[in-house]
Amino acid sequence: MSANPVLSVKDLNVSFNTENGVVHAVRGINFDLHAGKTLGIVGESGSGKSVASMAIMGLHPTTADITGSIQYKGKELLGLSDKEMCEHRGKDIAMIFQDPLSSLTPVYTIGDQIGEVLKVHNKGMSKQAIKDRSVELMRLVGIPDPANRLKSFPHEFSGGMRQRVMIAMAIANDPAVLIADEPTTALDVTIQAQVLEVMEKAQEETGAGIIMITHDLGVVAGMADDIMVMYAGKPVEIARAEDIYTRPAHPYTIGLLGAVPRVDRADKVSLVPIDGTPPNLLNEVHGCSFRPRCPIAKSGGQCCKDVAEEPALRLIEGAGEGHYAAADIAEQLVDARPEDLYPVPEVPESKYDSIPREERPTVLEVKNLKKHFPLLKGALVKRRVGTVKAVNGVSFDIREGECFSIVGESGCGKTTTLLEIMEFNKETDGDILVNGSSVHDGLKGSELLKMRKNQQMVFQDPTGALDPRFTVYEVLAEPLENQGWKKKDIQKRVIELMRTVGLQPDHVNRFPNQFSGGQRQRIGIARALAVNPKLVALDEPVSALDVSVQAGVINLLEKLRADLGLSYLMVAHDLAVVRHASDRVAVMYLGRVVEIGHVDQVFDNPIHPYTRALLSAIPVPDPEVEASRERIILEGDLPTPLNAPDGCPFSTRCPIFKLLPEEKQKVCTSEHPAMSREGNLDHEYACYFPNEEVAIVSATNPEAVVGVSQDETPWGDSALAADSTVADSSAAGEGSIRA
Amino acid sequence: MFKYILKRALTYVVMIFLVTSAGYFLAVQTMNPALLEQEKIPRPTPEQIQANFASLKLDPQMSAWERYVQWLKDILFHFDWGRSPNGAYINSEFGQRVWVSTRLFAAAIILSLIIGVALGVFSAARQYKASDRIITGYSYLVYIIPAPIAYFLVQLGAVAINQAAGDRIFFVTGISSPGVEPGWPTIVDMAAHYLVPTFCITIMSWGGYQIAQRQYLLDSVNADFVRTARAKGLTRNQAITRHALRVSFIPVAQSIAFTVPAIFTGGFFAEAIFAWPGIGLWSLQAIGAQDVNAATATLAYGSVLFAVSAILADIATTIVDPRVRMN
Amino acid sequence: MTAAVPPTDNLPRESQDVPELKVDDTPDFKVINKSTIITRRFFRNKAAAFGLIVFILVGLFGLFGGLLAQWDTNTIDPFYMATGPSAAHWFGTTSAGTDLYAQAVEGVRTSMAIGLIVGGLSVIISAVYGCIMAYFGGKLDNVMLFFLETLMMAPQLLVIAIVINGAGGQKIREVLPGWVILTIVLLIFSWMYDARVIRSMAMSLIQRDYVKAARYMGVSPFKIVWRHLVPNIGSLLVLNFTRGITLAILSEVAYTFVGIGVKYPNYSLGSLIAQASSQINTLPWMFWIPMILFFLLVGPLSLMNDGLRDAFDPTSLSVGKAKKDKKEKAK
Repeated sequence: MSANPVLSVKDLNVSFNTENGVVHAVRGINFDLHAGKTLGIVGESGSGKSVASMAIMGLHPTTADITGSIQYKGKELLGLSDKEMCEHRGKDIAMIFQDPLSSLTPVYTIGDQIGEVLKVHNKGMSKQAIKDRSVELMRLVGIPDPANRLKSFPHEFSGGMRQRVMIAMAIANDPAVLIADEPTTALDVTIQAQVLEVMEKAQEETGAGIIMITHDLGVVAGMADDIMVMYAGKPVEIARAEDIYTRPAHPYTIGLLGAVPRVDRADKVSLVPIDGTPPNLLNEVHGCSFRPRCPIAKSGGQCCKDVAEEPALRLIEGAGEGHYAAADIAEQLVDARPEDLYPVPEVPESKYDSIPREERPTVLEVKNLKKHFPLLKGALVKRRVGTVKAVNGVSFDIREGECFSIVGESGCGKTTTLLEIMEFNKETDGDILVNGSSVHDGLKGSELLKMRKNQQMVFQDPTGALDPRFTVYEVLAEPLENQGWKKKDIQKRVIELMRTVGLQPDHVNRFPNQFSGGQRQRIGIARALAVNPKLVALDEPVSALDVSVQAGVINLLEKLRADLGLSYLMVAHDLAVVRHASDRVAVMYLGRVVEIGHVDQVFDNPIHPYTRALLSAIPVPDPEVEASRERIILEGDLPTPLNAPDGCPFSTRCPIFKLLPEEKQKVCTSEHPAMSREGNLDHEYACYFPNEEVAIVSATNPEAVVGVSQDETPWGDSALAADSTVADSSAAGEGSIRA
Repeated sequence: MFKYILKRALTYVVMIFLVTSAGYFLAVQTMNPALLEQEKIPRPTPEQIQANFASLKLDPQMSAWERYVQWLKDILFHFDWGRSPNGAYINSEFGQRVWVSTRLFAAAIILSLIIGVALGVFSAARQYKASDRIITGYSYLVYIIPAPIAYFLVQLGAVAINQAAGDRIFFVTGISSPGVEPGWPTIVDMAAHYLVPTFCITIMSWGGYQIAQRQYLLDSVNADFVRTARAKGLTRNQAITRHALRVSFIPVAQSIAFTVPAIFTGGFFAEAIFAWPGIGLWSLQAIGAQDVNAATATLAYGSVLFAVSAILADIATTIVDPRVRMN
Repeated sequence: MTAAVPPTDNLPRESQDVPELKVDDTPDFKVINKSTIITRRFFRNKAAAFGLIVFILVGLFGLFGGLLAQWDTNTIDPFYMATGPSAAHWFGTTSAGTDLYAQAVEGVRTSMAIGLIVGGLSVIISAVYGCIMAYFGGKLDNVMLFFLETLMMAPQLLVIAIVINGAGGQKIREVLPGWVILTIVLLIFSWMYDARVIRSMAMSLIQRDYVKAARYMGVSPFKIVWRHLVPNIGSLLVLNFTRGITLAILSEVAYTFVGIGVKYPNYSLGSLIAQASSQINTLPWMFWIPMILFFLLVGPLSLMNDGLRDAFDPTSLSVGKAKKDKKEKAK
């Protein structure tokens, strides 16, 4: 490492005066950032990571109380006026924000907005020079047709493209420090992979030091050199990236790593839940901020030597170079696995596990489901100008006691499928059978109510799913009243439900806004369970929750499935969660299922090029795996399901299609491929030429094919193979089917 | 985009037609000029009245529908809006006054928009400071003062000033002084007469714009894109003036159409208070004289004003917001 | 939105293991009385509470002030013509020698009645109209929106002038007093702006997950509207109600002042102010007493607005305070 860091932060403290008192959002951060290096800052919401980055940028309101020192190349930034700070912002230190949808001004063109950052810092730069540089930047971040796109407005760009524009603006003046605050959280995985690659390219070009702020341990695994884990406004551990993942020394870090499901692992173990919620920073922290949630403290053990004092960060011996942790017994924890520290619930066993799938009754059957929206234009007389084929012929079935998941990127039709099933509308195109009764049976009145009882839903946003004006009791009583339960029975049932989902029964009189996100989701689950349904539809059930809370909810869902014999239909974009929780999975693209089967089959032996790209795009929280993996980066954005092509809808982005000879390409574009079965396994896919070469495209230069890959597993060499039986059978079936 | 405006305009034409027709029927049903005729001295015979009104196409013995068809035909084929019970032609009476009022309303709308938006921006920049509290407090106060009473008090104030000064500083009635030479002096004289009514409508109307502009600007001051602009190296003030201001003006521009009816009403009140010979005063007098055609013509005028300002609001929105241009 | 309210420390902790509770320990099921909370929160806002008290006092004056009057509105007292407030005539007399106090009582009553009727009914009309547009959408929505905009376009002032002045209207006037006709016309033109707001609000509420959840449970549409939509636009309706009252009283005064509103033999605050306007310099009490009464009527309504908004807002900071107060009292 060079001796002089580009950015040096010492004892940074940030506090805000709010109506409720002083919030100490950041309580002492120290780090040095060197040119060309990447520091990952990982933490959950409220950990102070974003507040710290805003403090470095000097973007906090003047009412914020910021102390300590922030030095850029030896020059103190703290205490500079807004005007003085403007000299550095956008020139020496630049920032990429989380939400590309709201971070660009809607009323100015992209060209104006990129040009602005050049103009501000380069007085006297000619119009032509600004334009040339803008085009160059747009090309650098991989925006096709840059000269013309400069005239576009932000709303004419997709999310991924807007984030590229943000990156272009950030690197316009070759900054020495680049801060990225959750740059890919709002994006789909395949787009995330593209953007991460663009960021790496940008770092190569500018030699900037990058601060990468994220809640996702996977995203930084492949990128960061050092990682800082934050908790309650303070770093609890700082180490080189590989040491954080292999030798974590703070109970919180260990817990976080155990709480994240892994998309590359087939073994079924429960996730590590970290009970409790982070402390409220309105109150002064006494002693270790993590103690109320610390498994060692909870089990009566001694972690902090001095209970009254907050443990300071200190160098840990024997855990890699420069490894700091704020735990007094860190040395002893270095080799501990999450399961050793945290009480992990046993993998719940369901009575259905022993019964073969074919022998279990079918709970839900979907046959050739279609949902087409007409796209209308015209004010008085509406003309149909096109059809949005949101769902275009989807079939699957769910057996008793199993979890079936649908995955895919936004706009693929997964949520529409789920909502169509929940609507249970008799005008549905195709057929939906719940417990044998079809949508077309024309159920009415009490029969329909009886059928509705069997399918319930848990929503993505736990806040929006609960009426803010209902008490928890009213929320849980609503489905029961609707089914005609008696008041006395309802009361009993509500208490029972509260216990079932792990909430205190005497909280029923509270309003939803008095609960944390995880607890609200538990209330949502309790409501779904109230009337003893057979099938529960889960729409992204954990995506709105923090990682440590997420694990608890996933475990709860698994336990309920086993105990109550429920079937789940889950929709999720987080493939790691899907892999962990489901038995079977369907991959959707533009309204169609492209691959379906047993979860281990599909994840370890993906056949469809889209599935392969999707899986390869997911970052794994393991730098070793990340380093050895080859990504299949998909070209461009997800097309809209408007007037989807007759042939294979994936052909426009397909890395196989790109290299196919013309006659084979014609096959792809002429007709939609039917489902083929892989051997006699529970594994089907819709592709004509799954075995052909795959083009590896660069995200920053889509025209160039930089390599060819035929990698069989998406997890690289160090990937853990699925359990042996699956691996064997897939090998057996391979030759015969893939012609 | 042009097509969209055109379509809106067509919808408004239909609306104007409906409003005017409904207004005609309402007027025909409720108004009976014959009753007033009977109060004349010497009192005309019913036959005389009947003959007189029939010649004016105001025949009270015809059914409402027949009169409507007759009235509509004249408008559509000759653009003739009919005659008053006293025999005057609506077209010429209207034509004499329409620009007097339209100028007054236009000046008031433009002034209150400019002042309201400017004060909104000013007070948002000084949120919770004394100047903000005074400006915003004024806007809320105006909201609970009946406009004509405020005009009346301003008129009294102006008169008091005139008396104190012993000179005519403010003109508080009418639109022109008699015997002023044509040319430049006439223009000066007219401007002086416009001053007080325009001032009155304006001070009673900008409050709405001020509150809206202040609120929308405060909403967008902390928007993500303002933060992005600051991250580029713009100072806070630069970021707000270059980025937040224009975005916050979009909903204000959209609301222009809906504030016009209030200004229209305010203008009528002002004309009544200041004895201002415009459409407002004339129509109120005409309605008092049971003049069906004058009443309907003013109704049409009011709805046309609304439609024009709604279309102007659409155009203004399109200019400031590129997202609308697409549709 | 006050989403920034940090979780208070007494938040229930998330727990994995279910606390062992015996089945028969019935928890405290006393559902917190929402109207109590709302009242409590409202009265915590001192200005709002003051406003309410003044409004009620003025209302009582309008209703029962007549009991104290020694004169009626029309009787001429020849010994007191155009005199200021005195023991015999508390508010003074007009130039004709009629008692201003008696007229003021009737004026307040009329203005308040116009305000309450127009404010109340327009809230109901706008809520029903807006919800129907939002719930059914499609063609019906388009047609209803067209009608709404057409009404908006029609100049209210002229319609009122036509109806009030129309001699033919005298037929109606034999049945209905003038102020009732004014009330009806004001009502017709009072609800469109609110209906538009309610429409867009209801549209976004229908998209909420909790409404979907209820739908998927099979809850009937009527129940959904009643249990989920109405309470959630309720706070807006209450605000519209107070604003509607203000606007109606304001319009009455304004129209009457220029001569197209309430007319003799009825009295309203507008007609009292109007009859005094030509004598403001000679008989100032005739102008200022009704003006003061007018401000005592509409001023408190604006004061109450803030308090009502807070009281009905579920995310309001006052929630926590209400809870804390309760707890402290319990201790």
